[in-house]
Amino acid sequence: MTDPFINLKRSLKKTVFKDLSFSCERKHAVREKIRGKQSHLHFHTWEEETLVAVLESVQQDEKIGYDISTFLFQKNINSFKNNEGQLYTLLHFFENKGILQSNWKDEKKYYSLTRKGKKLLVGARKQEHAKVERGTLKQLLEEASL
Amino acid sequence: MNDSNQIAVTEENLEDRELIIDQLMDEYSDIILHLVYTYVRNQATAEDLTQEIFIKCYEKLDQFHHQSSIKTWLYKIAANHCKDYLRSWHYRKITLNEKLFEYLPSKSKEVEEEIVTRNEENSLATAVMTLPLKYREVVFLHYYEELTIAEISKVTAVNINTLKTRLKRAKELLKDEMTKEV
Repeated sequence: MTDPFINLKRSLKKTVFKDLSFSCERKHAVREKIRGKQSHLHFHTWEEETLVAVLESVQQDEKIGYDISTFLFQKNINSFKNNEGQLYTLLHFFENKGILQSNWKDEKKYYSLTRKGKKLLVGARKQEHAKVERGTLKQLLEEASL
Repeated sequence: MNDSNQIAVTEENLEDRELIIDQLMDEYSDIILHLVYTYVRNQATAEDLTQEIFIKCYEKLDQFHHQSSIKTWLYKIAANHCKDYLRSWHYRKITLNEKLFEYLPSKSKEVEEEIVTRNEENSLATAVMTLPLKYREVVFLHYYEELTIAEISKVTAVNINTLKTRLKRAKELLKDEMTKEV
């Protein structure tokens, strides 16, 4: 018995799917939506000193989230007080942008600076010394169009 | 199935998720749209759902672990999304309204004319499109998207033997339908 569906592909292409194509407008709409979702994860959500302090916390050695939060607390940075979840959002953001890297050990996630992260931190300090101006890390992040 | 220009999703390029979605859209958006249309049989709805499917992929991209090809993974998300839609309250409300309209004489006339104008070429396509969903799904994935039964099983989470039975039954249904017309 011949397969009754043998010509199905050709038949569908010529008829039902003839003008059925995912348009550029539709693709554009997807891109717009995706960008909208990214924006809430933007570094501008956080204070400059918080961003710098988080990077500094893992400058010497790698740390888990809890130790980073203790470090920030000691530095009197209270952005994540009663809101620890936000710290992990920021860590995740840095990780996605290739500024931090992570390493699983004994079921704990250790964060450290990547080369890109180190460069960024050094650059931010240099500029801060020269200009005595706040917000330089953010500027650098922006320049790197992150 | 041709996977020669498969898109590489690796840990390193996860940060370029937006770019990956772009590539996926260029490569697969038409066939995903066709797949979705097969489920919902309405162009505007199919386009809306396809849009949502690519956004969903963007959100789930870090859950893609190479257990399957990116294409199979994409199909699976699409198939699930369509089934969710068909189960939704919104959809059921619409179809109920349409069913009520079918009883009005003016509407059913239009449908009849549509059926009359179809020619030899599209009678096979139309016949397949009127099959019940579970048959339409497997026929489309196998003959149009050219997936193997094993791949279809992955996409739909339906047992291989069940799929084989459905294909066989679909052929019988189609034969009945085509002979009825002649």
